[in-house]
Amino acid sequence: MEEKKDAAYFKALAHQLMFDLSDEEADSIVREFDTLQKQMKLLDAVDTEGVEEMVYPFEDETSFIRDDEVTNVISQEDALANVSKQVQGHFVLPKVVK
Amino acid sequence: MKNAGGAAERCQDAYAEAQKLQEKLNDVITFVDPAEQLEHLPEQGLMRGVPIALKDNVNTKGIRTTAGSRILSNYVPVYNADIADRLAAAGAVCIAKTSMDELAMGGTNLTCFTGAAHNPWDVRRMTGGSSGGSAAIVASGVVPMAIGSDTGDSVRKPAAYCGVVGVKPTYGRISRYGIIPYASSLDHVGYFTRSIKDACISLQVLAGRDDRDMTSSDRPVPDYLAELSDDMHGKRIAVIGNVVESIQNEKTVKMFNDLMDQLRARGAEVDVYQFDEDLMRAILPAYYLIANCEATSNHSNLDGIRFGVREEGEDMQAIMTNSRTKGFGPLIRRRFVIGSYGLFQENQERLFRKAQKVRRKIVEAMMECFRSYDCLIAPASGEIAPLIDTKADQDQLSSDYLVAENYMAMGNFSGCPSMTVPMGFEEGCPLGINLTCRPWEEGTMFGIGRAIEEITGYENLHAEVK
Amino acid sequence: MEYNVTIGIEIHVELKTNTKMFSGAPASFGRRANTCTNEVDLGQPGAMPCLNREAVREAVEACTALHLTIDPVVRFDRKNYYYSDLAKGFQITQQFHPLGRNGYVMIDTPKGPKKIRINRIHMEEDTAKQFHMTKVSLLDFNRSGIPLIEIVSEPDMTSGQEAEAYVSELRQTLYYLGVSDCKMEEGSMRCDVNVSIAPIGAEHLGTKNEIKNLNSIANIGKAVDYEVERQKKLLEAGEKVQQETRRFDEASGTTVMMRRKEGNVDYKFFPEPNIFPIRLDPEWIRGIQASMPELPEARRQRYAKEYGLGEHDINILIANKEMSEFFEQAMKGSKNPKGICNWLLSDISAWLNRHEQTIVTCQLKPQNLAKLVAMIDDGKISSKQAKELVDDLMEGRDPEQAASAKGLQQLSDTSAIDQMVSEVLTANPQAIADFAAGKDKAVGFLVGQVMKRSRGQANPAMVSERVRAELKKRTA
Repeated sequence: MEEKKDAAYFKALAHQLMFDLSDEEADSIVREFDTLQKQMKLLDAVDTEGVEEMVYPFEDETSFIRDDEVTNVISQEDALANVSKQVQGHFVLPKVVK
Repeated sequence: MKNAGGAAERCQDAYAEAQKLQEKLNDVITFVDPAEQLEHLPEQGLMRGVPIALKDNVNTKGIRTTAGSRILSNYVPVYNADIADRLAAAGAVCIAKTSMDELAMGGTNLTCFTGAAHNPWDVRRMTGGSSGGSAAIVASGVVPMAIGSDTGDSVRKPAAYCGVVGVKPTYGRISRYGIIPYASSLDHVGYFTRSIKDACISLQVLAGRDDRDMTSSDRPVPDYLAELSDDMHGKRIAVIGNVVESIQNEKTVKMFNDLMDQLRARGAEVDVYQFDEDLMRAILPAYYLIANCEATSNHSNLDGIRFGVREEGEDMQAIMTNSRTKGFGPLIRRRFVIGSYGLFQENQERLFRKAQKVRRKIVEAMMECFRSYDCLIAPASGEIAPLIDTKADQDQLSSDYLVAENYMAMGNFSGCPSMTVPMGFEEGCPLGINLTCRPWEEGTMFGIGRAIEEITGYENLHAEVK
Repeated sequence: MEYNVTIGIEIHVELKTNTKMFSGAPASFGRRANTCTNEVDLGQPGAMPCLNREAVREAVEACTALHLTIDPVVRFDRKNYYYSDLAKGFQITQQFHPLGRNGYVMIDTPKGPKKIRINRIHMEEDTAKQFHMTKVSLLDFNRSGIPLIEIVSEPDMTSGQEAEAYVSELRQTLYYLGVSDCKMEEGSMRCDVNVSIAPIGAEHLGTKNEIKNLNSIANIGKAVDYEVERQKKLLEAGEKVQQETRRFDEASGTTVMMRRKEGNVDYKFFPEPNIFPIRLDPEWIRGIQASMPELPEARRQRYAKEYGLGEHDINILIANKEMSEFFEQAMKGSKNPKGICNWLLSDISAWLNRHEQTIVTCQLKPQNLAKLVAMIDDGKISSKQAKELVDDLMEGRDPEQAASAKGLQQLSDTSAIDQMVSEVLTANPQAIADFAAGKDKAVGFLVGQVMKRSRGQANPAMVSERVRAELKKRTA
């Protein structure tokens, strides 16, 4: 079943992902989406009845779990090294409205 | 790679040469002056004094790491990737962080925020991607080894276009800790060299368990160089018929078939193996879905708040949105939208999970083949590197080239070790051949690669940049 | 109109570990901002998660104590959303394969004991802390990555009392396990309560409202009761209950709307690709379960059996783990559990409250309490006299020495008492006459006189008995 999604739909979706699309970019996705639909047909051509999803390249279970010892802590300076503004060692944001 | 004295001179020469070629190749994002590393060079090391380059998705403490994206153009890591530590411990000296497709999401190396990288064999042509900068810097003779990463073919395709050895080992063989991810269940750390012997030594240095990466393997690391054998007797090689048949270029096919005859002459059993065609055509769509979905999630941390280029805004949402809009290139944003779409609850079953099921079928088909064969082999690409100025849309999800140009993701789905080695030339530009072996059988892979290297005579091939 | 009330509760509990859930940074509290983090907690590019064994161990303990079935294969998933306190832009949690399923706790209700079922317990990681100032918000990632377990009940509760009892029982169990401080007021235990009502006989459940930011167990009951009434009033007025997220306003004792719930957020859950499934060694699990500390349930039963204490006293004693442990220490030197218990729950608790201390911070030694009770039982001092020794005991002093120093000793010498009784009776002929006339009050008066004469040191029970005996003799 073909789904028709328009530029507005993808703009809204992008906004949910915390970025914006220009009109051209949104139109481009509408076209790409069309191609995506065609590709889904290629996937559908493969019978996956009773087949489980493969999440990892290998499916051997592991057993390693890390000991509860402090091994790696960075200084406050390093934590803030990649921002220009800080207040008493905190990252700063304009007031968040929850 | 010789470990003789003169390390400082060698590294400084490489550093200078890289800068000299930068204008033509644009394969470097950040140059790294080797002086400090040379001061702290260890007494011993398998790669002592060898100049290398790192793809710019490898975190290097104190040295800018951008992953080819504007949003990270000011990001300076406070920690080292595991492989950066291993290479330093082995005495290698990094002289450059190389160009890559933005966030490793591309196959052309045209989307880096610093511009397109150029192929050393013909600077009008692309290097391929996403590890194009690393491929170029090795192919141009500047350094004998450079790190890349391979999620769908991002080491193995540029290796073919640039005429170098490109290795993607088994999943988990090399730690991914500190490598900026693309798609975590498909990402592999890989690398480029100009010879199989150097490939063996490099893997020795890079491989090994890292407890910080829960997917890294604790299998012991063999001495690949010591175990290297070019004896083809008893080796059973399966040519992927579907790939060869989908290649339009007859010269490529002939070059490949001749090479297969040579392998037979050395005692290898070489048969043509057919996979289900629908399965082969499903590789690219399955790869795109899984990769885009995982990537969208992986890059949710790039928001300008704790690191990266922050664009101002009146609240958190505005800051995140402005930073990501300005910081991500258009291709990436489009990929994220598609990726997110595939993960929505109502779509997941149909799209993301369907792709994951197809992944299983592909891997099962490969393992079935590996019951009777030691190696899957096919040309890495049907054509030489395309011209950069082709007006074709860089990221067309087109149904052409589904098989010939995009089958190598099989190696990522399955985690199998896979390698490209130079095969021959057309129009003065290289073509490559790709081989894939069972998990953990890098030894077999290097052995067959070595045999091919001897047949072609392309050991230490490098381009004179014009 | 009669309504069915349906209440479900989700609780997030911070586990006590040295390091974070997925990184080797310290899990510390109260430190300067952003001094307990590393690249993993800050969500920096390229960092990868690495699971903490102690967190798993504590989660296994919690599942066991609450009767859940444990899945021996540990699997994680990503919950994707954007927020400033979420460093990676996703939280690693266990959506599809929680560590434990299908457990329960027993609570007391006015209608008797009731089973409240627990749907799941899963492991996840905490977010950063945000501080809201007037113009800016500040972020501290020390809390980012702290191990959490989330406990989700079935919607089995039907009143504020049941909700409180459930959380109380859960809190006590986890506290006894030692896996968390469980301090609601500090945020190491956070409760979200979902309340809906529907007319009896209705096919579907009513619209659910979520109440957040509850900072004490008492407030849970108050909030639920208020919310139920609020929803009832709406329905009676012919209005619809809107799906909302509300908070409890302590001052007014009401729930206040925080935001409307606009449909369901799609978190795009998918399995965490950077953590392979981990199979827990069954021996390891068995070892954990075998070495778990005694839980409130078992302790209650043991106290009833071993010490013969009443249910009411047991509940109060057990409600405070440290108090019950002190009790057991004191019992090592005592044969009178009821005596020890009474002292702890009355005079000693009162003293602790007055001085804002706890049984752990005060200087009281268990053996001294045991001694005090023995002194009373042996008649060496009276209960009344003992009360004068409370301060001394709480400050760590030996009761025998303290009694001696204060000149407190109970007179239990029969002949001395008889002497005084005789003197008092002789001095009060009117009282004797009153007694003969059937006025029993006279006994109390005479006992009081004897006590006065002995400066309060006579054994009052003995005095009372001797006074009656002497009165009988003199009025026979």
